Amino acid sequence: PSQVVPGADPSTRQLCFAWGPTEVLVCETQFGRRGGFPSRGKVGSGRELLPGALTTCGVTGTGEGGPSSSHVFVVRKDPDIYIQTLRKLFNESHGIFIGLQRSEEELAGKSRKAQLVKVSKLYRSVIRACMEDMHQAAVSAQDPALRVQYSTQVSVLSAIELIWNLCEILFVEAAAAGPLLLRLLDWVRLHVCDVDNMVREVLSSEAPAKHELFWNVVNILVLQGRLDEARHLLSKEASADPTAVKMYKILDDLMKKMPVLSVCTNQTLTELELKWQHWHEECQRYLQDGTFASNSHMESICKILLGDEDAILEKKELLTTWYHFMVTRLLYSHPTVKPMELRFYAQMDLFLGGQSSPEPLDMILMAAFEFEIHQVIKECSIALSNWWFVAHLTDLLDHCKLLQSHNVYFGSNMREFLLLEYASGLFSHHSLWQLGVDYFDHCPGHGRVYLELHIERIPLNTEQKALKVLRICEQRQMQEQVRSICKIMAMKALRNSRLGSALSWSIRAKDAAFATLISDRFLKDYCERGCFSDLDLIDNLGSSMLLSDRLTFLGKYREFHRLYEQKRFAEAARLLLMLMTAHIAPCSFWMTLLTDALPLLEQKEVVFSTEQTYELMRCLEDLTAGKSEKKKVQDDGVENTKVEMLRLALARNLARVIIKEGTLDG
Amino acid sequence: QVSVINTVDTSHEDMIHDAQMDYYGTRLATCSSDRSVKIFDVRNGGQILIADLRGHEGPVWQVAWAHPMYGNILASCSYDRKVIIWKEENGTWEKTYEYTGHDSSVNSVCWAPHDYGLILACGSSDGAISLLSYTGDGQWEVKKISNAHTIGCNAVSWAPAVVPGSLIEQPSGQKPNYIKRFASGGCDNLVKIWKEEDGQWKEEQKLEAHSDWVRDVAWAPSIGLPTSTIASCSQDGRVFIWTCDDASGNSWSPKLLHKFNDVVWHVSWSITANILAVSGGDNKVTLWKESVDGLWACISDVNKGQGGVSAVAEGQQNEQ
Repeated sequence: PSQVVPGADPSTRQLCFAWGPTEVLVCETQFGRRGGFPSRGKVGSGRELLPGALTTCGVTGTGEGGPSSSHVFVVRKDPDIYIQTLRKLFNESHGIFIGLQRSEEELAGKSRKAQLVKVSKLYRSVIRACMEDMHQAAVSAQDPALRVQYSTQVSVLSAIELIWNLCEILFVEAAAAGPLLLRLLDWVRLHVCDVDNMVREVLSSEAPAKHELFWNVVNILVLQGRLDEARHLLSKEASADPTAVKMYKILDDLMKKMPVLSVCTNQTLTELELKWQHWHEECQRYLQDGTFASNSHMESICKILLGDEDAILEKKELLTTWYHFMVTRLLYSHPTVKPMELRFYAQMDLFLGGQSSPEPLDMILMAAFEFEIHQVIKECSIALSNWWFVAHLTDLLDHCKLLQSHNVYFGSNMREFLLLEYASGLFSHHSLWQLGVDYFDHCPGHGRVYLELHIERIPLNTEQKALKVLRICEQRQMQEQVRSICKIMAMKALRNSRLGSALSWSIRAKDAAFATLISDRFLKDYCERGCFSDLDLIDNLGSSMLLSDRLTFLGKYREFHRLYEQKRFAEAARLLLMLMTAHIAPCSFWMTLLTDALPLLEQKEVVFSTEQTYELMRCLEDLTAGKSEKKKVQDDGVENTKVEMLRLALARNLARVIIKEGTLDG
Repeated sequence: QVSVINTVDTSHEDMIHDAQMDYYGTRLATCSSDRSVKIFDVRNGGQILIADLRGHEGPVWQVAWAHPMYGNILASCSYDRKVIIWKEENGTWEKTYEYTGHDSSVNSVCWAPHDYGLILACGSSDGAISLLSYTGDGQWEVKKISNAHTIGCNAVSWAPAVVPGSLIEQPSGQKPNYIKRFASGGCDNLVKIWKEEDGQWKEEQKLEAHSDWVRDVAWAPSIGLPTSTIASCSQDGRVFIWTCDDASGNSWSPKLLHKFNDVVWHVSWSITANILAVSGGDNKVTLWKESVDGLWACISDVNKGQGGVSAVAEGQQNEQ
């Protein structure tokens, strides 16, 4: 089966395909023109029909495009992720999932089972809540297309809940003979045909017994084992028709006496079976005596009570589904059915009667009744576009330790496979991806690497988002990703001339080369403007200063300025000199440093000692010597003036300091 | 189930040869026989033309986005024998480097894993493969492998970065010792694997299985397993999956994915390497997945019994 991309014409073009991080690109092309050679290969040959055995699938075009299409189609899988009303489903089930993973494994036997059943019910309640929301949305939608979409979703969710409920009964709770039928009855009552409305309608009418739906309602109540309610309705009939009183009383009595498994008493199955057998025989006698012969409705009901297949089958329209038929039959012919016997009663064909073929839902339910768990999972995977359902259900079944016993290729591998698919899908969403992280965390096989590959592709639109992603990576010691993200953010900041941000990102990335680059930019800015930007950052570098030499210089240079501002001239002087003599400062910056020394040299109080002055002089000479080697033509006039000024200031300082040091105190 | 979320009208005046999303899926680059490379902003289903880059003098065959940590950089290659590297600077896209060292059409370009730096491999119809490495300050260093494939090289694809030996944190600023490898496919019907040793590129492996020109090669992303996987497709209609189990890269064994009835032009891996897309001459794109038991099957999202993990493709039988 192919996914058809409207607009692309497959008969004359080929399709070019590329993977995006979360989507897929398709465009028309003609490959034969590549490589600069006359085209090899059948270009533009009409669509070739492939032999039937080949299951082709993927993407083709529909031929609606014009002569030369210049369109590129962006295609996405799992569009469900984007349905707003499903958002709650994803969020809440995520919570349940995490709770399950962290739940106590030590609990054994009954308490563990009870815990798992509880989880299953939680999931189902979330599905039902979502169904309700979706239904509201469908009702209130103005756009008919949207209404259709919502209604479809409601049906899908309804089917999902149906399946889940059955799986809960058969697999999670693993109901045994006895309770099994009761559960199945509940299941059928909950999901199949809306009886209550009909009951209400009939009861609220003037003469219920005369209502056209009366017998339908009575019958469906009997079919669903709701005998008390059926009796209540029948009493209306009895009062309306005196001739039927005797018949009615007997039927009423039979219905009242039907043995049902009671949870209260300590009745064993054998006891129940015995009682039931007696009751069954009693019903049989009344039928054979012709007690109900004059009233076909009542006779039919009696036959149903006897589990007569044909009588039940006659009510096909009311039953609506083969599984309802099955449960009804079981109720009235074999109420103590064992789980493994269910498959013999699941007679879809009998019910459908060759008139319609089974739907995917039918196949799934059938597989469940046959206790073919991996078949259930497989069919669900195929039938649904979103992995949500099958991933969570499989995970739950895995916790019930049900997957190990099956086919060795599946088991926990299957659980992980599905969770990986589901979580991967979440990553295409701008906020749901965060849920995906947790799912990957609980996939011991490939979860981590999948997370690494996906998390790198999250667009880092804002600083906040980047920090969020970063935190996730740091928590999991994903060093490569941390570095990569920091580098990307640093580059972005630099491109937008946000030097402070760029610097802090490169420090976080421990990227020395980049830190050097940015420090240079800072210094360049300082030279041009005479002041620093992002002082806070530079002032508080701390040990991260050591990341790169240039960064260290930047930090220390700023410290020099601070000392100067605080009028701690002696310390400032020492620092300034050290920056040059220890070669922390790049040669290109020495001129600036020496120029910075000028105000210190001109202080009223002498700052630099003799030794320091000599050092400064030497630095200046080194600098100018180096320069004159390179520059052949006369120097730039400003430079020369500066050098002269420095020489003068240094000489003056030397003079003053020699005198000062030579003067004795006192 | 898929849905078309955006239809970008590129307004290219001639055949489109390649379309690539950037790393985050926010930008789309396309190239065409009309000699231009176009870049669109496709966020939120929109399509805003950001750049219409002119510089090639012939049909442009491929485009490739570099890793975002290097900025916004795009490479393109063309029939005009040139490789152009474009960069976004101060909000505008400009040519930042042009390489004209090939004697024939350049058919394929592929950026190396970002861990290696900014390195571009280019395959050309002159049979050579060139490697352009950014050394800083707008400078690029070129290494050329002449006669990599006789008659011509059609495709290049890098192996994912894997650090050999221990994973001890290197002191900052020092690059770990990566073993760089890439695969190429050519008109000599061969897939070759190249490895860098002491700064030189050497042919490490010759993979022979195709009976006609190899049109594309794709090295699968790494999912942490010790195996390496390469997909190759050819004029002979076959797609092979090559796997190598040992870390030394010595023994590669091919598995035939499928034999198509026409030329297969293009193969590409999804980002978690679990799906292989194959663009065939039969005018379709098929998606293939490896099932739990190691067999490859064609997948579908629409059911009716023909999809899922155990779908049957011609020539391959799967249990279940």
